[in-house]
Amino acid sequence: MNLLEFKDLLFKAGQEHGFTDMELAYEREEKFGCELYKGEIDSYDTSEVFGVAFRGVFNGKMGNSFSEKLDEESIQFLLENAKENSQIVEEENEEIFAGSESYEEGTFYSEPLREVSIPEKMNLLKEIEKYIYEYDERVTGTDYFQLSSAETERALLNSKGLSLQEKQNYLGLYVSVVVKQGDEIKNGAYSKFTKDFESLNPQEIAKQAVEEALSQLGAKSIDSKNYRVLLRHDAAGSLFNTFSPIFSAERTQKGESLLKDKVGEGIAVSTLTIVDDPTLKEGLLSRTFDSEGVATSKRVVVEEGKLVTLLHNQKTAKKEGVQSTGHGYKASYKGTLTVAPTNLFIQPSEKSFEELVASIEEGVLITDLSGLHSGANSVSGDFSVAASGFYIKNGKIETSVNQMTIAGNFFELLNQVEDFGSDLEFAMSFVAPGYIGSPSLIIKELAVTVE
Amino acid sequence: MLSKSVIEDVLNAALETGGDFSEVFVEDRYTNNLSLQGGKVDSSMSGRDFGVGIRIFKGLQSVYAYTTDSSREGLLKAARNAAHAINGERIIQPQAFVNQLVVSEHPIPLNPREVEKIRKVNVMKKAYEIAKNYHSLIQQVTVRYMDEEQNVLIANSEGKFVEDRRVRSRIAIQSIAADGNRMQNGFYGPGAHSGFEFLENLNLEHYATESSRIAVAMLGADPCPSGKFPVIIDNEFGGVIFHEACGHGLEASAVAKNNSVFANRIGEKVASNLVTYIDDGTLQNEWGSINIDDEGEKVGKNVLIENGILKGYLIDKFNSRRMEMPSTGSGRRQNYRFAPTSRMTNTFIAPGASTREEIISNTENGIFARYMGGGQVNPTTGDYNFAVMEAYLVKNGKIDKPVRGATLIGNGPKTLHLVDMVGNNLAHGAGMCGASSGSLPVNVGQPTLRVSEMTVGGRKGEE
Repeated sequence: MNLLEFKDLLFKAGQEHGFTDMELAYEREEKFGCELYKGEIDSYDTSEVFGVAFRGVFNGKMGNSFSEKLDEESIQFLLENAKENSQIVEEENEEIFAGSESYEEGTFYSEPLREVSIPEKMNLLKEIEKYIYEYDERVTGTDYFQLSSAETERALLNSKGLSLQEKQNYLGLYVSVVVKQGDEIKNGAYSKFTKDFESLNPQEIAKQAVEEALSQLGAKSIDSKNYRVLLRHDAAGSLFNTFSPIFSAERTQKGESLLKDKVGEGIAVSTLTIVDDPTLKEGLLSRTFDSEGVATSKRVVVEEGKLVTLLHNQKTAKKEGVQSTGHGYKASYKGTLTVAPTNLFIQPSEKSFEELVASIEEGVLITDLSGLHSGANSVSGDFSVAASGFYIKNGKIETSVNQMTIAGNFFELLNQVEDFGSDLEFAMSFVAPGYIGSPSLIIKELAVTVE
Repeated sequence: MLSKSVIEDVLNAALETGGDFSEVFVEDRYTNNLSLQGGKVDSSMSGRDFGVGIRIFKGLQSVYAYTTDSSREGLLKAARNAAHAINGERIIQPQAFVNQLVVSEHPIPLNPREVEKIRKVNVMKKAYEIAKNYHSLIQQVTVRYMDEEQNVLIANSEGKFVEDRRVRSRIAIQSIAADGNRMQNGFYGPGAHSGFEFLENLNLEHYATESSRIAVAMLGADPCPSGKFPVIIDNEFGGVIFHEACGHGLEASAVAKNNSVFANRIGEKVASNLVTYIDDGTLQNEWGSINIDDEGEKVGKNVLIENGILKGYLIDKFNSRRMEMPSTGSGRRQNYRFAPTSRMTNTFIAPGASTREEIISNTENGIFARYMGGGQVNPTTGDYNFAVMEAYLVKNGKIDKPVRGATLIGNGPKTLHLVDMVGNNLAHGAGMCGASSGSLPVNVGQPTLRVSEMTVGGRKGEE
């Protein structure tokens, strides 16, 4: 059964069941992924999946359900379960949205990217791999070496006449190289999402990943104490990703974010500006309409240290008497409606990374964080997470450091940012939903413990 | 779920280009996820996942395709897309199916699909009331409930044709204690390979109270000091540390390519004599238990480390080729969207002789990690990190003040040698484990034990 036939049958049966307003959200994704290991194809995946989410108002209350099968049986399943769900949910009501006045034209689909063939993608990996092994004899292998590409299509159809549709595609690359020197084993990674296949330079990618791994060899211990910390853009981005839910109005309304009642107040140093931009051409989460069908637009969330707005969907906006900011979010058709950023980033400044390093008399450079899903508490802002990086002395990177933890509080950290780099990049960290970017940041002080 | 003749055709099409093995995994899964916050149900989602995964091997090459299009044409297209990667001439035909019957070792008296949702809500509300009323500092309690019925069919070109049903239920209670600008979390999430009877028989009083007690205890805690300490890790979910620090390194996905510190070391001493580490997917109705793995192999009890000596690995079908060792029934996947790989089920440190009291009274100056949060490991280096949800200082053989924000870091293989006391109180805790084949229900377990030295990270600095 095709989507429109399915929608017509579903809405008709829904009406007979007693649903007043109804919505069908559809997602379809085609993906390709492959991994290479020492010249051999280690994995090769192709897929085509679709699914639908149903929302419907029954007895004045919203019910949800989803299915990956578009058949008669699923119509019954969707309606009966949504009906039962609507009657047990006690929250204030969501509404089916009739539509925004206008929608931007989305340009998130690259025709040239679609034309890139599977052999071309495999060749890129082979090229990178060749350079990886050539680059240094301490390279022993790769622990992750994968490429993925995806095309997604989503549509939102409802009984109030809204009919929206959007397409997007991207290509992702993740390379992690293992190096060994004596008994010491380290790995270093390169990762990227892009729509521009031509921009991927195999030699450059191999060099970056291998250098990243090699630079960590010869790790030493340093004193455990408070240091000035330079968070490289990727480490800063992954930390920011973990704490990005603090900007959700759903969180503040549930008492789970300390930014409650802080709109209009200073929450960070006056040099810090945070922007959410769903219109970015290269943004992984770019979109013209959110999961409720609300038109999206670029928004400043924190301006010169002051909280300008929280992120809202329709329900949270209604509670506060404001307009939705277009941040209604469902992880997929399987998720219920919540709030999440799109492409959210800290505004960069002019300084190069090298200039930031040179400005530090004594400190620690952090290049990678792990354990963010467990060692960080977005409610209290406290974090204590594993880190890898380097010791900086007299403006120079002196040595790689043994495994560390850095500990602090994110709300305090926002007020302790001393300097920003020009090197804004989006992080491959998805502890919380949102594609999150940051330049490298100098933090006045964090507690560093060294193994 | 799909007719035998369609499956046969798909297995056959998958071998057209020279594959030496093909497999079809069909999944029909029904789930319910409910959430309750501030005493009210704030979301309830029900869904049906239906999809098919097709896998082809040729030597040490593995190809995977999956689709939600379960029509004959859709499946044949997916099989041919995958076969395209192999690019040779047919070498074999699939063998005739031999029906294999699975007798479930995990009785399900009350399938949650047959239970009205309002009964589920009632259990959640009861848990909420207990947790909320524990203390006036409890500001927010969230109770989540999930159940699923996962029906799987696995068929392959070696003649395997087997079906199984897995039913799981879980409740997760999260308490937030707040005082002024400070907030702390407590969490407890018991789950089982069981039906709704698991929740009706569950000691809610215990789990809900513990969740809130942890949050309140940590609210009054000072920041944890940092430095090197002996660390006592309590039983049950404390086992997460060995799950990360050594379990993942024993998975064939890391071992087969020599990317694990445990590769090629069978028969060698890799841990203190006190450490026996076991993965047992057969434990009745436990959260991580299964009858057959997601490659249709019978799950078993695998002794990985015995009295400090490395005995075995967790091996799936594909990695068994590279390692030239048989599958241990450890091929698992989150759903049809993932090719299976070697994963844990219920993994635990076997009990020793000491009592918890003995372990504490033998520790002069250390940390007692009563409840662990989550953690992660880099299987290549063995470096791990963990959050401790509830921690205390130990002074002169006694539990002293609570401390918050503790993180444990270290290196798995080194830590295994430093286990110097193992208790007699083995218990298991439910968790979700994420890796390349997705997020899976697993149990972690251990008795109370002590590691003679671990690096503790905290905000307070060294004492």
